[in-house]
Amino acid sequence: MKLEVLIFGAAALAARSGRLSVDVPHPATAADVLAALEAQHPSLAFALKPPATPRLAVNHAYVPPTQPVTPADELALITLLGGG
Amino acid sequence: MFTPLVTSLIIDGPITDSRAHALAIPDHGTVGAAFTFRGIVRRAEPSPAHPATLRDLLALDYETYDPMASRELLALATETAAAHHLTAIHVLHSRGRIAVGETSFVLHVLAPHRAEALAATASFIDALKARVPIWKRPVWAT
Repeated sequence: MKLEVLIFGAAALAARSGRLSVDVPHPATAADVLAALEAQHPSLAFALKPPATPRLAVNHAYVPPTQPVTPADELALITLLGGG
Repeated sequence: MFTPLVTSLIIDGPITDSRAHALAIPDHGTVGAAFTFRGIVRRAEPSPAHPATLRDLLALDYETYDPMASRELLALATETAAAHHLTAIHVLHSRGRIAVGETSFVLHVLAPHRAEALAATASFIDALKARVPIWKRPVWAT
């Protein structure tokens, strides 16, 4: 199935977009989405591999890698933060 | 024991002196240390192309993922107050363009003793940078 993921900051600059699509198996988990981002959008590699610590937010909350996700969820890639 | 006073707010634009100074100090008679940290935009940052070289900035553009950023900021402030036995904690963070020399972040911590206030400040800022969905983008001078 196809899912939309919001992206921000340097990752969005690299992708030239604030939103990307990924194809994932059905059913899918948060870990599947992160893996699909890395495999299907190579320009994001710097934001998905160490020392970056990427996490997926689902409906505005961090979730564990095993969290199921669906097209009805709002997904956001949270990485390379710069607050303060 | 009393419940610590916790406030957090993300505002558009820089944090002015008057807004920073308006943060409340509760009158419990228990505050022995008040510590205010201000994050200010520096004139130069490492160049992305040549990290060993500093490059002049005009400003930083702060982007937030709302409402998650506001929720995480409040949750972090609440957790920090409990973990360090604070009397109060107030957090302000900017969204949008903040020019060199302007304030983008204020953390105001009140505690019975300085050790708690200083430890809370350090741990809060570390966690902010790891957890609260806020990004900054440099606006280079040249």
